[in-house]
Amino acid sequence: MTDEYRASKIKSKIAWIIAIFFAIVWLVITITPFFFMIMNSFRKQFDMLQQGVFHLPDPWYFQNYIEVITHGFFGYFFRSVIVVAVSLVLMLIISAFAAYPLSRMKFRFNGFIYAMVVAMMSVPIHVTLIPIFKLTTSVGLYDSLGSLVGPYVAFALPMAIFILTAFMKTIPKELEEAAEIDGCNRYMNFFKMILPLSKAGLSTLAIYNGVSMWNEFAFANTFLITPQKKTLPLALGQFKGEHSLNIPINLSVLTLSVLPMILLFIFFQDKLVKGMMTGAVKG
Amino acid sequence: MEKVGNIGLAKAKARSTSRAATVFLLPALILIIVFIVYPVIDTFVISGYRWNGISANRIRIGLDNWYTLIHDEMFWKSFQHNLIIMVYSILLQIPLGMLLATFLDAGGKKFNIFKIIWFLPYLMSSVAIAFLFVYALATNGGIISSLATLIRGKRTTIDLLGTSPNALYTIIGVMAWQFTPFYMVYFLAGYGNIDSTIYEAAVIDGATRGQYICHIAIPLLGPIFKTACTMSLIGSLKYFDMIWNMTQGGPAGTTELMATYMYKLSFQQFNMGYGSTVAAGMFILITAIALIFNRVFKVKEDY
Amino acid sequence: MRKRVLALFLTTVLTASILTGCGNSVAAEPTAGGTDSTAAATEAKPAEASTEKQTDGKNIPELTTEPLTITLWDISTDEPNRGISEAAVQRFMADYPNITVNQVHQQNDNYKQQLVVAMSSGQCPDIYVHWGGGPMAEYYKSGHACDITDMYARYDHPEYVDAAVAQSTYDGKMLAIPFSGLTGCDIFYNKTIFAELGIEVPTTIDELEAVCEKLKENEIIPFALANASKWTGSMYYMYLVARHSGNDEFNAAYTQENGGSFTSPAFIYAGEKIQDWVKKGYFPNGVNSLTADDGQDKALLYDGSAAMMLHGSWQTSGLKADNEEWYNENIGVFRFPEDSEAKAAGVPQNVEIGTAIGMGMTFNCFNDDGSVDQEKLDACFVLATQYFNDDIYNEAQMATGTVPSIKGFNENIEDPNNKYIIDEFFKASNVQLWYDQYLPASVTEVHKDCMTELFGLEKTPMEIGEEQDAAMQKALAE
Repeated sequence: MTDEYRASKIKSKIAWIIAIFFAIVWLVITITPFFFMIMNSFRKQFDMLQQGVFHLPDPWYFQNYIEVITHGFFGYFFRSVIVVAVSLVLMLIISAFAAYPLSRMKFRFNGFIYAMVVAMMSVPIHVTLIPIFKLTTSVGLYDSLGSLVGPYVAFALPMAIFILTAFMKTIPKELEEAAEIDGCNRYMNFFKMILPLSKAGLSTLAIYNGVSMWNEFAFANTFLITPQKKTLPLALGQFKGEHSLNIPINLSVLTLSVLPMILLFIFFQDKLVKGMMTGAVKG
Repeated sequence: MEKVGNIGLAKAKARSTSRAATVFLLPALILIIVFIVYPVIDTFVISGYRWNGISANRIRIGLDNWYTLIHDEMFWKSFQHNLIIMVYSILLQIPLGMLLATFLDAGGKKFNIFKIIWFLPYLMSSVAIAFLFVYALATNGGIISSLATLIRGKRTTIDLLGTSPNALYTIIGVMAWQFTPFYMVYFLAGYGNIDSTIYEAAVIDGATRGQYICHIAIPLLGPIFKTACTMSLIGSLKYFDMIWNMTQGGPAGTTELMATYMYKLSFQQFNMGYGSTVAAGMFILITAIALIFNRVFKVKEDY
Repeated sequence: MRKRVLALFLTTVLTASILTGCGNSVAAEPTAGGTDSTAAATEAKPAEASTEKQTDGKNIPELTTEPLTITLWDISTDEPNRGISEAAVQRFMADYPNITVNQVHQQNDNYKQQLVVAMSSGQCPDIYVHWGGGPMAEYYKSGHACDITDMYARYDHPEYVDAAVAQSTYDGKMLAIPFSGLTGCDIFYNKTIFAELGIEVPTTIDELEAVCEKLKENEIIPFALANASKWTGSMYYMYLVARHSGNDEFNAAYTQENGGSFTSPAFIYAGEKIQDWVKKGYFPNGVNSLTADDGQDKALLYDGSAAMMLHGSWQTSGLKADNEEWYNENIGVFRFPEDSEAKAAGVPQNVEIGTAIGMGMTFNCFNDDGSVDQEKLDACFVLATQYFNDDIYNEAQMATGTVPSIKGFNENIEDPNNKYIIDEFFKASNVQLWYDQYLPASVTEVHKDCMTELFGLEKTPMEIGEEQDAAMQKALAE
């Protein structure tokens, strides 16, 4: 009995050591390109090309960052924050709304609507550029941040509904029945029970779509033309000409754009864990 | 009498259900119809024309474009590349993401640092990733070539992006690097959704962690697993961004995907009519594959 | 409807230009253009009273005094181009305060897509820039380009070099005003390495091969080529074809008539030469994986592992911007060597590869019914010919190493390498526009893939010739 226990203890220890070894290998794989991005953003183009990209900055060159910041970086940054925040909140609410009946109600077109939503995930973004461009110009939203919200929300919806439906299906049906006996109607049910219980799914979606909206280029590039209205992914363009490309400056723009996301994630992943803890219901 | 009352009640309930469903679904449906369904219909309409995309007149040619599409070697080659990417993406990203999530779930808070760093690749834009990997994988002086030189003890160059089929597999690898973190977080959320008492009960029954994961957690994650596979499947079939910035379909079309092919036709070669046909064909193929996948792996559903 | 009106308009213009007898010949005003005429305008300035404009005394259309807005799309996203083009617009708006120019800088990478989306949605800008060639023809045929043959003949404009006018013309109609200068391509080389190894600049292809051998012996890669970009490899192909046959075989292959084909001797010669060079190791390993946009070819020059690089003249300012000191110390340039056999057979050896206009501005000034909005077109024409392309603009361009496509500007170029390239360009018997801009868009794609296969030794010169023929025939049939 004790031998067996000890054996399993040792086995689990070895398993952990192996696991941690591979965890560190993966860690190195993930972090290496970041390392290069940051290192090269502190160099001059010539030094980078001459010494190779794997050389440490010598000397450290900060002018890239000064250049980027003095060329309206914060403007681009705040416009991106606004667009992403508005789109994300709308998208989360609307997708949760839609996933609720699809996952937990029996009605006639349920299967059809669900299939349609799944089908809409397979639409390549570029076919929508011209129709949405026409729409945007005809409602007078061309060259305004508002033009991005519609497409951003709409394009995130199919995937979001798809994921949330799957998540909501895992919530035990008995909970809802119990609530119904307690006199809750569907609308109260949604806000009091389903929404809080879907926190984990919603956080995942917020991460997934927050990142893709933050980095979105095609729509932003098509609908925004005035520099004072452009979002962050377009900031790269001003350091890039037909034949000239200053790589380190572009890397510093990229570093500055990804930094807030990293900070947000560090903060947010803690919330995510907490959300999941409270999300787990004793049944 | 009582029977009739029951039926009336059931009817009333059904009616209230469909009313509630309509209210909840309406905002999403409106947005989807305006921004996605309408453009899709438009694409199908354009596929019936010969049109350069910018002229006021288009020539109606019926199903000619579709006929061309069916016999278009390049399109099917692109589709094949998409399929290869799809298979490898599912085989790489999902299990890896699962593995990482399991590790993090078992380790708890003390592994937060792993979680944060492992997640980094997903935060980067595809443009940045493409750019960094072009350097990291460079034939002269890239990481892989340098490692090979070190191991073999003499100057070795490994051409990862400039030859076929290396380029396609390299891209699969980079995609795994980019998207695995997302599935990791996704499964982590899934683990979080499992009732904590189930684990406690399992432990009381004498289950080890491994047994709990294999026999309880993973089956419970079934629907989430399927969703993840569907996402990876669709994502890899309509992939565009990173490959466009990395190889533009090269060398010589060996990493051409349906989306890059469609983009070139529509926006660079003044062949919007046929480009739309490719897009429509792509849409049909992806939807079909996604629906078949969901049929085949039907998870028991109860409402 | 629109098409008919357009056709009517075109016929009128065509007849008019035939009647007045001006094809591409320069207009009535003999001093029109270049430094001289603008200098004259500057002198004339003080004589004028309060409303003096820099165009005073010139033969230009009378512009409207009503409020007018012009949208202009360019790709001048980065400095110094952005500043230079914005200044030109400012000068124009100062002279014509009733006209507002809404200048939009689009990003180069997606510019073609942006134009397609805008044109397709009826939102085509009034002035847009492009690279000429196949796409310009497409814009014109689709009704997004005004024919300015007549205006160009009637009014003052800078005296562009003939090749620039030719490249702005399609089907006998002038469609664009050049504004972004000449671009040639020649071989940049590391003077220091050449001097150390005692290598002379080669003048024939045989000598070039000897130079490559010598470099190989010293473990230096002869050519820094980044062929993932494809147009970079195409430069070698184009030059070898041009040295072997002048423009003749390419022109024949372009029409596919009278036995013209991409499998004709010059193309086979070029393909075989390239593959021979690949086999001999004249290009870096993994040549198809290196990209020019990311500077991976420059990198090989910078760290001294390669000695030569066939590239566009924009590299003079590009290399200089990276490190001027290093550039001045190490970089020289020579023209693509001659094919002595072909020369003996009388093939001209001074065909240059490049573009005479860089980019041109085309005007899309139509009313809703499809007729020309002459008022707007006049304003656009004046903006493009008198404010872009004026003295201040040209001087600023010269300062950045760009040589305007205007006669006389090859005289005072400071940078010796740039001067060399431009002089060669002016001496050229003919300029061959980059294949990837000249060919129809669908053929361009095939041509570029063929370059990958050629340098990757995946297909024979004959096979890529046949592929290009097939694509060309398909494009011609449409």
